[in-house]
Amino acid sequence: MKGKDLINIGIFSAIYFVIVFIVAMLGMIPIFLPLLAVIVPILGGIPFMLFLTRVKKFGMIWIMSVIMGVLMLLTGMSWPPLAVSIVSGLIAELIYKSGDYKSASKAVITSGVFSLWIAGNYLPLFFAAEKYWESRQNFGQDYIDTVTKLMPMWMCPVMFVVAFVCGIIGGLLGKALLKKHFEKAGIA
Amino acid sequence: MSGLFTANVENRGLILDPRTKLALMITLVIFALGGTGSEIKAIRYAVVVLSLLPIILLTTAKQYKKAALFGIIYTVLKLAEVFLVPTLTDAALSLLGVCCLIFVRLMPGLIMGAYTLSSTTVSEFIAAMHKMHIPQQITIPMSVMFRFFPTVLEEFSSINTAMKMRDIRIGGKHAGKLLEYRLIPLMVCSVNIGSELSAAALTRGLGTTVKRTNICKIGFHVQDIVILLSLLIVYILLILGKVGAVI
Repeated sequence: MKGKDLINIGIFSAIYFVIVFIVAMLGMIPIFLPLLAVIVPILGGIPFMLFLTRVKKFGMIWIMSVIMGVLMLLTGMSWPPLAVSIVSGLIAELIYKSGDYKSASKAVITSGVFSLWIAGNYLPLFFAAEKYWESRQNFGQDYIDTVTKLMPMWMCPVMFVVAFVCGIIGGLLGKALLKKHFEKAGIA
Repeated sequence: MSGLFTANVENRGLILDPRTKLALMITLVIFALGGTGSEIKAIRYAVVVLSLLPIILLTTAKQYKKAALFGIIYTVLKLAEVFLVPTLTDAALSLLGVCCLIFVRLMPGLIMGAYTLSSTTVSEFIAAMHKMHIPQQITIPMSVMFRFFPTVLEEFSSINTAMKMRDIRIGGKHAGKLLEYRLIPLMVCSVNIGSELSAAALTRGLGTTVKRTNICKIGFHVQDIVILLSLLIVYILLILGKVGAVI
């Protein structure tokens, strides 16, 4: 990997993260919080697909994924997204590599797997929840029941599936837009 | 909005080592977001103090508006969590209670994130990463990225204005093209600026294999030690709480 590849990673990470950041602002409105796993992969799919046209060497997708995890740590979303992004980034890298870094259908799947890190953001809310309720027994069992009903454990895998599916949709959208705009302009 | 990602060097007051900020951030997410040791009373009080620390840091950096805003939101949420939530029932509980509980945990980390981004220069960040022996494959993309954020946001706001003039906006005539007509130009110009940037970076020796030097001096000062010691106290409290010495 040369300097130019690393700089490309930086540029596309910046575009991707700006989209994440703008969408995350919506997440400040509580109803939108679960919707982040829908909006971010779909919109992020567009720059990500353009990024994939630049990927020719092993490690580029993985590094971008790790950077997203580090950024989440830096902006206060705890470490689970980083842990998820390290694994999902590597899997995404291997999938795209198996298509020799040019297969268009594998690129779409890569986009889906790459998006899994977004679901990692919800992990602390689920896993720390039990510990949290334990310390608040004095609020009464009714209270704990009501709140856990709203954030049930099965929502956790669902978030990952949602992120994956939306990543695929984003990938398809990105591919269509690449065809429409970038190939003509000679950028893709 | 571009001010979010660029450090205001003249006005940042207390200068902290980036590694101190990282340690504070990690401690905040372990205790405030992760809820570690929340069964121990002393830790619960310590977390409140810890959560107020980033707000104090924002004040020292003369970002009074941000500090006041975050301070008020956090105080209101925390007070609501302690006094209001236990008295709620059913519907009100599920709506208000959950929002409050989620955000009271998220807020401290987010405030610290806002402070970190607005008070660390790219050079300092790279120097700290270098001292922590993070490989070049991570530091180069990250430095390019931080350098690139303001550019992307600037381009985005210009494109936004142009598209508003063409009535491509929410509630406008061509609302359907809202996203496509913003993201595509943004990417085309980012790619172009990017290739110029990589040429510039290569002339500064970013692609070479030799060891790079950095003129940026970072190190631990009194303020770093004070913060790190206070973090240590929280961990000691946790251990003491686990063995049953404090409640």
